[in-house]
This record gives sequence, C-alpha cells and structure tokens, in this order.
Amino acid sequence: MVLENPVQPFLDWFLGDLSNWGAGPMFLVTLLVLALGSVVIGLLVSIILYGPLKGGERVYTVVRNGLAEMFYWSPRRVSAIARLAVQESLRKRVLVAIVVFVILLLFAGWFLQSENDPAKIYFSFVLTATAYMGVFIGLLLSVFSLPDDFKSKTIYTIVTKPVRAGDIVLGRILGFTFVGTMLLLIMGAISYIFVWRSLDHSHQLDETVMQDIRDADGEVVATIPQLTTLDNGHRHEIRVNDDGGIVAAFAQGHEHEVLQDGDKLTVSPPLSTMRARVPKYGSIVFRDPNGNPVARGVSVGKEWKYRSFIQGGSQSAAIWTFDNVDESLLIENKRDETEYLPLELIVRVFRTYKADIETPVQGSIQLRNPETDLKSRIEFFSARDDYIDSQYFPRKLTDSDNNPIDLLKDLVSKEGQLEVVVQCVDRAQYFGFAMADCFIRRPDASPLVNFAKAMVSIWVQMVIVIAIAVAASALLTGPIALMLTSSLVLLGYYKEFFVSVARGAAEGGGPLEALVRLVTHMNLTSPFPNEKDRFEIQLLKNVDNVIGVFMQGVANILPDFTQFNGSSYVASGFDIPWPLIVQQLLTCLAFVIGSTVIGYFFLRNREVAR
Amino acid sequence: MAGEVVVETRALTKVYRDFWGRQKVRALKALDLEIYKGEIFGLLGPNGSGKTTTIKLLLGLLFPTDGQALVLGKDATEVSKNERIGYLPEESYLYRFLNAEETLDFYGRLFNIPAEVRRERIDKLIKLVKLEGARKRQLREYSKGMTRRIGLAQALINEPDLILLDEPTSGLDPIGTREMKDWILALRDEGKTIVMCSHLLADVQDVCDRIAILHQGELKELGRVDELLKVEDVTQIRGRNLSQDCQNEIRDVIARHQGELLDMQNPTTTLEELFLKIVRDSEEPPAARAS
Repeated sequence: MVLENPVQPFLDWFLGDLSNWGAGPMFLVTLLVLALGSVVIGLLVSIILYGPLKGGERVYTVVRNGLAEMFYWSPRRVSAIARLAVQESLRKRVLVAIVVFVILLLFAGWFLQSENDPAKIYFSFVLTATAYMGVFIGLLLSVFSLPDDFKSKTIYTIVTKPVRAGDIVLGRILGFTFVGTMLLLIMGAISYIFVWRSLDHSHQLDETVMQDIRDADGEVVATIPQLTTLDNGHRHEIRVNDDGGIVAAFAQGHEHEVLQDGDKLTVSPPLSTMRARVPKYGSIVFRDPNGNPVARGVSVGKEWKYRSFIQGGSQSAAIWTFDNVDESLLIENKRDETEYLPLELIVRVFRTYKADIETPVQGSIQLRNPETDLKSRIEFFSARDDYIDSQYFPRKLTDSDNNPIDLLKDLVSKEGQLEVVVQCVDRAQYFGFAMADCFIRRPDASPLVNFAKAMVSIWVQMVIVIAIAVAASALLTGPIALMLTSSLVLLGYYKEFFVSVARGAAEGGGPLEALVRLVTHMNLTSPFPNEKDRFEIQLLKNVDNVIGVFMQGVANILPDFTQFNGSSYVASGFDIPWPLIVQQLLTCLAFVIGSTVIGYFFLRNREVAR
Repeated sequence: MAGEVVVETRALTKVYRDFWGRQKVRALKALDLEIYKGEIFGLLGPNGSGKTTTIKLLLGLLFPTDGQALVLGKDATEVSKNERIGYLPEESYLYRFLNAEETLDFYGRLFNIPAEVRRERIDKLIKLVKLEGARKRQLREYSKGMTRRIGLAQALINEPDLILLDEPTSGLDPIGTREMKDWILALRDEGKTIVMCSHLLADVQDVCDRIAILHQGELKELGRVDELLKVEDVTQIRGRNLSQDCQNEIRDVIARHQGELLDMQNPTTTLEELFLKIVRDSEEPPAARAS
C-alpha cells in the first residue's frame, strides 16, 4: 500500500525534538498562544468599548472566572446534559440515518464489481460511506443544538442552575459522541456483514474439462477437473502444489483449498478474502546505473514523487535494509517443515517501449549481508504491476557461488541487519519503488480487529467535528456555526494544500492573486507581465503574504483529516498500526479539550438573554 | 422592615447596544433596590418598563452595563449563587420532549442532587403541583396551565431560598391563578423570599408585601403594598345584618361629626370569587350539592 508518511514511533511523535516539536509541545504552545491572543484582543475591544479602567476590570473578571471554573465540573451535571443531548438526537429521528445507510448498501452491491481484488473496493466503499455519514450526522446533530436552545430559550432554565458553561459544552460533546458512537457501531456491523456476505461464496468443480496429474516419471496418477465452476463472477484453475496439495489457484484476491475425501473432491470456502498484513518495514536506498549509492532513483516524469525508479539492464538497484532480523520473523511451512523468510514486494513497472505487452518485465531479487557482502543466489521474478508479490526465501539456501548457507547465520549481520537488493533485468525498462514497497510479513492480525481500528479512525473524525461544532455553536447561530465547522472540516481534508497556499508554495500565489488569475482567465504558472514594476501586483502579493501568515496560524488549529484515513489500510489488506490509533485518539482528545475551553469562554461571556 | 438583605442592586443600569456597540435602548436606569428575606416583592410596570430586564440581570442572564447586582451576597454573574435560587421564566422554557418526571430529574441532576433525594423531591413536587395524572406525559401534550405548574415545580427542585417568578400568573385561568397565588403565599410562609414581576395589578396586590413600580427603566415608587394603597382620609365600615334604622342612624352620626358619607350599599363580590364559587360547586358530588 501507499505509505506517504510512515507512522512515527509514539515518543517521537509526541515529544519530537528541539528543531521539530512533537504533538504534545505543539498542543501546549498553540493553547498558550490562543489564550494570550484572546486576552490581548479581548482587552483591546474592552478598552475601546468601556475605557481602560472598566475594560481592564472586565477582562480580569473573565480570566479570573475562567481559571476558577475551569477545573470545577461535576460528572452528574455533565452526564445530565449528555443524556439530554442523546434524548434530543433521538427526538430528531437520528436513526433515519441507519435506514439511509442500509439503502445505500443495498444498491451499492449492483455497482461494486472488481476484476482483481473485490475486498479492496468493498472495504473502501463501506468505510468511506461510513466516514462521510458519521461526520455529516455528527455535524448536523451538534451544530444546531445550542442555537436551538437559545432560540427556544430553554437555555434560560439551564444557565440559571449552578451549571458551569464548561459542563454544558462538554456534556453536549459527550452526548452527541455517544449517539454517534452507537450509529457507527450499527453502521460498522452492517458494513462488515455486507462485505463478508459479498465476498463469501462457494465453487463446485467443473467436470467438463479434465486434466491428468502425472508423477515424476510421467505416469498418470489421477485425473481431476481443470477449473471450478463460475461463481461470484469468477472461476479458479485447479492446480497441484509441489507438496502434493490441490488448490483452486489464486484469483480475485483469494484461493480455495480442494479437499479430498476418498475419491470425492470438494472446494473449500475462500481462504483469506480479508487480510490484515502486519509488515516490518526497512529503509530504502538506491544505486544509480553505475552502481553509486543515491537517495532516490530516477524520475520518469510522474508528478507524484512518492516512488522513484531504477533502470533495467544496469547496476541500478533498490536496496532495503531491515533491522533486527531474527528467528521470530521466519514462518514454518507445516507440510515440508521448512522455515521461510516471508518477503513481499510491490513493483510499479514503467515501460519505455511497449515490447510484448503480455510478457512481463523481468526482475531479480537477492538477499545480502551488509557487513560481509555475501549474497544469496539471484532469484528472478516476473514483475506484475501494482501487485503484492510474495518472495519467500527458505532458511537453508545457497549463495551466489552455489555454496549452501543459512539465512540467519550468514546473511544477517551481527547488528541484525539484512539487505534486500532488487534490480530490473530488462534493458531500458524501469521499476519504481518506495520504502513501503518491500516488507517482511509478520503473522497477520485479525481482519475484524483491523476493521474495528478503521472504525476508530472514523470515530475520531466524527468526535473532532462534534467538538468543533459545539464550540462554534456556543457563540454563533446555527447556520453560521455550520458554515464555519464545515469550512474547517473541508480545509482539514485539504490541509496540505492549505498550508502550501499559506506559505506561498502553491502555483498561482495566495488567495488574492489566485482570485485575480481566476477572474482574468490567467494561467497559474505564468508570471504577470512586468510584475516587478507594477505597484498593484506588488501590493497584491504583499497582502497575500499577510493573509498567508494568518492562514499559517489557522493551519495550526486545523485538524488534518488525511491523517485519520484508516480505510486505505483496511482496503489494501494491511493492519493499522496501534501507534497510529493512539496518535489519532490523543489528537482527538486534544481537540475535545481545546474545543471545550474555547466553547466555555464563548458561552460564559455572552449574554444568554436578549 | 430591616431583615436580612437577599437581593441588592446598586445603581444597576442596562443599556442595550447594537452589533457596532451603539446605544439602542436604555432599559434600566440606575436602579437601587433592597429585597429582604421572607418577603414577597413585586416588580410592577407596563410592558417595556424594565421588570424582566431586572430579573434577567439578577439571574446573570444579562450583564449590567453599569452598577452591580448582588444576590444572596454574591455578584449576580457568579454561577455559584444559583445553588439557592429557583427561577420560573415568563413562559416555561422547558424541553418539550421530556415528561414531567424526566424534566424534574434533569434539573435535579443539574443541582447535583443525589438520586434518592431527587426521587423523593420529584414525588413531592408532582403532588404539590397536582400533576400526578400526567407525570409520564411529554410536556408537548401539556396545556398552558400544566406547563406553568411543571415550571414552578422545576424552580423548586433545589428547595431554594430565593425564588424569582417572571409573570407567574400570565395565561392562567382563574383557578390556575388562584392556585399559583396560594403556592406563592405558602412559599413565603415557609420563609422563602420571592421576587415576582407582573403587570397584572390584582395579582400583585393579592400576594405582594412590597412592590416597586418601574416605568421606562426608572424606579417610580417603592414600599409596602398596604401602605401605598392606604387612603388616609377615607374610613371603611363593613357590617352584616344592619337594619334600615341602624343604617339611618349611622348616616346621622356621620353628619353630626361633619363627615362626608361617600357610599353605603350592599357590596358586590368580585367576579373572581363568583367564578371560583361556581366552579367549586359544580365539582362537588351531586349529593353534597343538594344538601
């Protein structure tokens, strides 16, 4: 799968270092800057409205009340407000969302067809649908709740009780989160059953075409069908493995076992339609065509810089180094009792000439000891584009001179490092690689648990939206709070672009310049004519720079929703790493704390009545 | 009267401003008031005179532009004062999707009242406001009178020392009005302080010990109801079974003392009394009516 930002170890992510602060210090600094900024702005506005003495006194009262009431909250009050939010949601017939979701899935079955990997398309559909649904419901529930209370004046009977504004904000966040969680649980269960039912199928053996099975001497030992029947849009070839087992070979992302009961052959249910691979990643370096080490391979002109390419028929290579390689990573094949190092490789093939399109481009793979430079015998493979290929190396293997060696003893360095060297064999063809394209596969995790983790990612997005919406609605009217929250969510989904515009790195300049280019139908990349001498253009750019500073400030409190994307892991059949889940949960907590504090000040310092 | 001061306002002023901070309305002008423990205090005035603004300032629903309001010794903007306050808003702004029990339970939780005590008080209050038959019905199905009653019950859930009632009798039928007034008097007898605002003069006259009359945000009159309404130069005599001769004699006595007889006739009862009597009679069982 594509892993553009590898998951950092927890402590690195949380604490960071001096030059690159982690999430913890960043949160505290952001909170501090927000607090100080609010006090300064509040003081200025108060002084203008009430004069220096009275204005100062008012700001002091606000800060004093805030500090005194911040930690004064009662679980009973918060739970009462939360319960009310739940009752209110049920009254708003939130359960209709489930009906809409089920209808969506009923029709989705007609359109979700895939040749290669149906699990991928099913999972990405249900998880994306659930995520959008969750965020949408969370937003609609929470953003109108407080404004409705203001409109109906029911808030009068709440704030005249000894309830702190913080109780009201936190209670609402928790109440709507509870409703959202219940909805996500139901939608998640429906989704999982939908995917499981859609992928589950059975085949019979198609006895119209038979094949002979011969032993080593060429004697026919058995006659078995060549194919399974066509079910669920596909059929499998029947093959006999080296170890004698009969299988319905890999197709549409799965295979079946063919079970033999006397003379009767039956096809088992599909094996591993849902996977949760647990990869052990290494680091990657490249060799240029002359064999010199380089950080990246060549560019083949793709705009997406994720992968770089190695040239075929040269010394160009991609080399992964894996740390801590030991016995625990080996798997044992029960039939022949041999231990293997399970290596998996994803190759992107870039052809500079078409050649015979049916003939795959050839590649080679070797294991190497980074210390002694001892290499295993070269293995050739046919590269299937964008496909996870298994390259299993037995523990007992031979080196490049055909001498028997032991994988762990001879190829792994004293520090526990092992290198994997991949090259493209065909001249003038290219292989593209990124760090995550080669990994040692650990025992798979449970697909159900992995699915639950993806649901946690969706849950986190929903909670963040609820928290922001409740805080915004503590000050603004429903429609305005809705606009603000949805803008923040949209920007959150495109945070990278937003930051690049703020820093002036995006093509087309800042917001004003982009607007001028839009209206005048001007190309994004070409400069304005004589722009250096034109005052208005320079003014435009300077104003954009100022807006850019403001935007960078906003970017610091913007949730990065692309970081909460668990569905790509599940769809590609990879386990979502626990550190990522912990990071997401902590980020969510930070937003809930931040929103509660902001919501508290909004609600505490506005006049409830008019 | 110089009891313990429960509510005090010092030059309390409220100016409503528009979005740009420009002055729109001066709703309350330097109000000075003291309300004592155990009295029923009425704020009286026509619409827009500043009664509701005063109540909202006392509750902290509005912030004063100038001056200060002290409630139970604390600044009105402090939340902790609400522990001992009960408030019945002008229209009972309650959650219409809750039933009576849930409503009282919800507000009880906001006071951090333990579950057991809550249950007891809910039963007691539902009985007090006579909603036993409707305790499980959603408030959306309630009539205006029932909504006022559950509104009063929620204001009493914390057994408050100070109760603020905004137009407590508005929209009630005569029976409801009578009941509400009886409850207010009963609460006063329990030692609670009550501040109510109303423009229904008869109601205020019936229950209030002291009143303040506001007009255009200014305090125009303040004092005990009986003193304010007392007509110094008029004496009222009421008697039963006086014969015509007796009445003539009284006329003579007055004339002899150079007094002026203003009126001597059989009084009419108030419409309220007549209405209540008829309703009460018709609610009696037929046998009791016949006797």
